[in-house]
Amino acid sequence: MAANSTNVVRERSGDTSVRGSSDRPGASRRVRRARWIGYAYLAPAGTLYLLFVLVPGIHTVWLSLFRWDGVTVGKWVGLTNYREVAENPLLRGAMVHALVLITFFAGFSIIVGLLMAAILGRHRRSGMTFYRVVFFLPQIVPMVAVGITWRWMYTENGAVNQILRAIGLDSITQAWLGSFTLALPAVGLIGTWALSGLCFVLFLSGAQKIDNSLYEAARMDGAGAVREFFAVTLPALRGEIAVALTITVVAALASFDIVYVTTNGSPGNTTTVPGLLVYRLAFTGGQVGVASALAVTLTVLIIGIVVLIQRLTRETT
Amino acid sequence: MTTATRKAKMAAVGTIGIALIVVGCTPGTANPTTSATTTTAGGGISTAVPTEPVTLTLAFIDNPDMTDALADAFQAKYPQVTIETQFTQFADYVKSLRLSMSSDSAPDIAQYNPALKDLSAAGLVVDLTGYEEEYGWDAKFPKSALDQLRVDDTGKILGTGSLVAVPGGLSLVGLYYNKSLMQEAGINAPPTTVDELTADLAKAKAADITGLALGGLDYGSLHAWAGLMNSMANTSDWRDWINGTAGANIVTPDAIAATTVFAEWTKNGYAPDSANGTTEADSATAFAKGDGLFLVDGNWDAAAIGKTMGDNVGFTVFPPAAAGNKTVGTGFSVSYMLSSKGKHQAAAAAFLDFLSSPEAAVIESNGGFLPPNAKAAPPATGVQADLQAANEKVVSDDGLMAFPDFAAPAMIDSLTSGLQQVTAGRMEPKAFLESLQKVWTAYHGG
Repeated sequence: MAANSTNVVRERSGDTSVRGSSDRPGASRRVRRARWIGYAYLAPAGTLYLLFVLVPGIHTVWLSLFRWDGVTVGKWVGLTNYREVAENPLLRGAMVHALVLITFFAGFSIIVGLLMAAILGRHRRSGMTFYRVVFFLPQIVPMVAVGITWRWMYTENGAVNQILRAIGLDSITQAWLGSFTLALPAVGLIGTWALSGLCFVLFLSGAQKIDNSLYEAARMDGAGAVREFFAVTLPALRGEIAVALTITVVAALASFDIVYVTTNGSPGNTTTVPGLLVYRLAFTGGQVGVASALAVTLTVLIIGIVVLIQRLTRETT
Repeated sequence: MTTATRKAKMAAVGTIGIALIVVGCTPGTANPTTSATTTTAGGGISTAVPTEPVTLTLAFIDNPDMTDALADAFQAKYPQVTIETQFTQFADYVKSLRLSMSSDSAPDIAQYNPALKDLSAAGLVVDLTGYEEEYGWDAKFPKSALDQLRVDDTGKILGTGSLVAVPGGLSLVGLYYNKSLMQEAGINAPPTTVDELTADLAKAKAADITGLALGGLDYGSLHAWAGLMNSMANTSDWRDWINGTAGANIVTPDAIAATTVFAEWTKNGYAPDSANGTTEADSATAFAKGDGLFLVDGNWDAAAIGKTMGDNVGFTVFPPAAAGNKTVGTGFSVSYMLSSKGKHQAAAAAFLDFLSSPEAAVIESNGGFLPPNAKAAPPATGVQADLQAANEKVVSDDGLMAFPDFAAPAMIDSLTSGLQQVTAGRMEPKAFLESLQKVWTAYHGG
């Protein structure tokens, strides 16, 4: 108990009256009071978190055990809704699409971000803030606006096809979001576009912390730009890559807005994602129970993958 | 006890506590069996508008100008009645109205939406059948438009049971045509049968003109397919299926034939290859710009198309399978329902009756809708005149058909993805109809 108290007191570094007083009688009581004050400070945020995150979360788990249309009285069905999630090809397909989106949201974004950071971060140059702002811009544009804009760009006469025609690729132009094979990659590339800038800014700030002497040493050993990147930059960015991976993978799995405004699952359910189906089932399909079960499954999957990413990166740092 | 275990214990107690609070009750509300019985059909219904001042609240979506204008005109007729209008965004309307209709501050009058049809089963809206008899609405409103607003006591089956709302302005889907392109393709008059329409599309292709401006990205080119279903499928079977009548089935030879025509149109290149990657709105824009001989679309786009194309555009009913068949057209209405918690139901019902008046017809027409009192529509020119003629024809044939996605809440998603696959030649017409029937059966039962 005493050891614990000391810790608590040390943490309250601003409070000089209590500091170093753990050996005096009555200190323990004071410390205990101090701990409750800590909880009191936590209370406002904690209450909000409880009311708007934990309670709805548990409520969702509870709802997932019912067959409920959202209006009339629900019927207890146990785990039936979870079996539906596992067996329904539409719901399973959505999970697969979300996994495909990881390639674009996480994989490509991180590769593009690393490339840009490697090119721009190697030497200090003027106008760095400008680049950072430009590449970060997609992050501050609302996803709905991004989606609507890209939907225009992907149409028959949209910007994408105009560019392709300008460089003589008329033969491959098409209404991209109408293609059964290419609509999902097309949606994924929007994610790459939106998230690359975030990765870039993250990696750039990481790269700027790298000791210049490491680069000098590498250069003295005759390393070129590519070798420098793999030997110095990449290993030093492990922590940043872990953060980028977590954010982008969650963005891919929990994607809703981009898909909802660009394709809404079209064509022929080739771009459905779990988030979209949760929305459909709950708000238009009147199947709140199945929607909740899918949401819970998705949450568990995301937490699992995030824990996995944390594990993998912790071992190496 | 160490701090760590105490923390864990506290967390556990907290979690269980929350769980108990949350888990306390079964989701949903039980049917209030006593509150809804103010209006059984027949005797005792008063249609007398109170003489003392009363205030009604009116919740609405869609067309703010029109609803406000209707309220103003009604107040001019009944100065003792004040109507306070409450506008809600469409995106939030169904959700927020669900809540407000079951609250104690429910609006007296609210714009109806088919997604709210279960409110009548919950006893939250007035069964208007009694007022219908008293006011003689069967003579004032088109039968098919009123029937679309009937819901049975399960809240699932349309076209039968309580009248839950009254139409204030009709919508109608039909065939827009480009007159100069028609001439270019060597076509003298708009098609009067489905076969003629197909032949015209072939002529357009031969003349290197896009036959049908088609946009399926958002709803799978639903209107074109529904047009063929209206004309080729058995009308009462098709209506029963949309309404959810027990035992209805969409997998019939004539429905397969209709879907096959749709599939062949796209297969033969009568519509652009980009159809599945084009939105409905973009296809209307393409048509207005002259890329497309025909467009299957509703009256809601008439103003914009007419503005761009002027006298070059015409509108007609979607042609029937055989000349002389009754006209069937997809359409619905802006309609209004009454809260069963309203204190001034007679005054509110008078507002519903007012929707069929000649004054209301002018407002509805100016608002971009087709008045249920079709003959009272103000004189119009161009495509608007064509629309009114088509509306009169559909109304007199009692041929208004609700949108196919009304069949079940999840139907729109299956229609969209299925029609996209039919358009791309990736699904057989029969398999498509079977996939719809599966969704139908899941909702309505076998």
